[in-house]
Amino acid sequence: MKLGYYPGCSLEGISAEYDESIRALFAHLEITMEDLPDWICCGTLAAPSLSRLLGLATPLWNVAQAEKAGYDKLIAPCSACLYHFKHATQTVTENPSLRADVEAVLELPLDSPPPTIHPLELLSDNSFEMRIRASVKRDLSDLKAVCYYGCHISRPAKLMQFDDPENPQSMDRLLNWIGIQTLDWPRKVDCCGAHFSMIKPDIVVDMCQRLFESALEAGAEAIIVGCPMCHANLDTRQNAIAAKLGHALNMPVLYFSQVLGYAFGLPGEKLGFKRHIVDPLPLLKCLKLEVTSD
Amino acid sequence: MAFRDEIQALSGQNVNLCFQCSKCSSGCPLADKMDLKPAQVMHSIRLGRADSVLNSQAIWLCVDCETCTSRCPQDVEPAAAMAAVRVLALQKGIKPSVKVIDIYYRGFVDNMRLNGKIHDASVAGITQLLTGQLIPDLPLAMKLLVRGRVKPPPLPLGGGRFRKIYRNALAKEKESRA
Repeated sequence: MKLGYYPGCSLEGISAEYDESIRALFAHLEITMEDLPDWICCGTLAAPSLSRLLGLATPLWNVAQAEKAGYDKLIAPCSACLYHFKHATQTVTENPSLRADVEAVLELPLDSPPPTIHPLELLSDNSFEMRIRASVKRDLSDLKAVCYYGCHISRPAKLMQFDDPENPQSMDRLLNWIGIQTLDWPRKVDCCGAHFSMIKPDIVVDMCQRLFESALEAGAEAIIVGCPMCHANLDTRQNAIAAKLGHALNMPVLYFSQVLGYAFGLPGEKLGFKRHIVDPLPLLKCLKLEVTSD
Repeated sequence: MAFRDEIQALSGQNVNLCFQCSKCSSGCPLADKMDLKPAQVMHSIRLGRADSVLNSQAIWLCVDCETCTSRCPQDVEPAAAMAAVRVLALQKGIKPSVKVIDIYYRGFVDNMRLNGKIHDASVAGITQLLTGQLIPDLPLAMKLLVRGRVKPPPLPLGGGRFRKIYRNALAKEKESRA
């Protein structure tokens, strides 16, 4: 299976540690993927707000590049990019005249665009279970954590066709394989406020406060995520939330790829731990962390 | 064309299927900030209350989390209807009622025209500068800079690919509306 990789803009900026840890993890698991050539931004909500056709053509440029490169699947670690790729692909598949318009705009064919998937969809497949269990070098079973999926990993279900939109389990399953008994909590698919962090930070602080309150109530010491915007909001807005809560927060927010990589014995530098606003290392160092010798 | 037919043409959503159960409003994480709740937006579209919907804050406060779409028992997609209203509002020259979001979306597309990709730090910086919110986030920006999460803009600027798509899409849309 030939895999393409679309990092997306956040992973080249504020979420560099997601990109680093995904690459390190995939290399460790010997999963080969190729960077999508000539990629552009997915357009998020901005391009479709200005023009419907632009909002379809922008993500589909990338999908068309993936088709040209002959990938069987395109991996998008950002769940917003993922959503826009899947949404645009489905829209033009159902509407041939729109597809013709988009093809004319792109000056490229869209005959059989490959599906876009989240890295969780690839890794949480049962075929990986043995390989992942066998790769564990660091015992993280003491980590008390909740998995936070946010919006688009599985929602809306009809479009994403992956996991459960109200109670997803893929990330929990993956972390169970490496020995972490993830905690159950009711807000795993609530929205973090996404890009409103740049324009309406108060709203994001409100939305993330609810998430932290719920995670604390579940007994979590860390939140594990699979989306650059969820991470940015939860990692960077804790001071304002702590002020509203009236107590310090300091809860590490980690990408599933960092946690897996760390469990596999990869060094923290390769996983971007030093980039976090809330340093996760003190928490990780409290666990029994001796690297098992082979 | 009637307002609700325009929305249907743009989004494929038949708002007449909505029976006002209000699951969309109940699940919407931003409903408490909205002037019209999602179920009211749907109902207003049915009633043809174009002005109130096109000028609402609700359509711009929608963050597209798709909770409404995911939970609708009638398989209507309120998020898609909201998106269609945003497109229609701009087509009709109606200024978005949440100004900061308009500034953000336009700045975002301008950044794409320059780079093809977004340079997230400059999108955030310019948006916050233009909306008067830069100062409170400066300490955070410094922390992100020190941690290598604020990168220099991508060079050489690769916006040509996107500018062509932008030009072609807008021309084609104009041609089909004429």
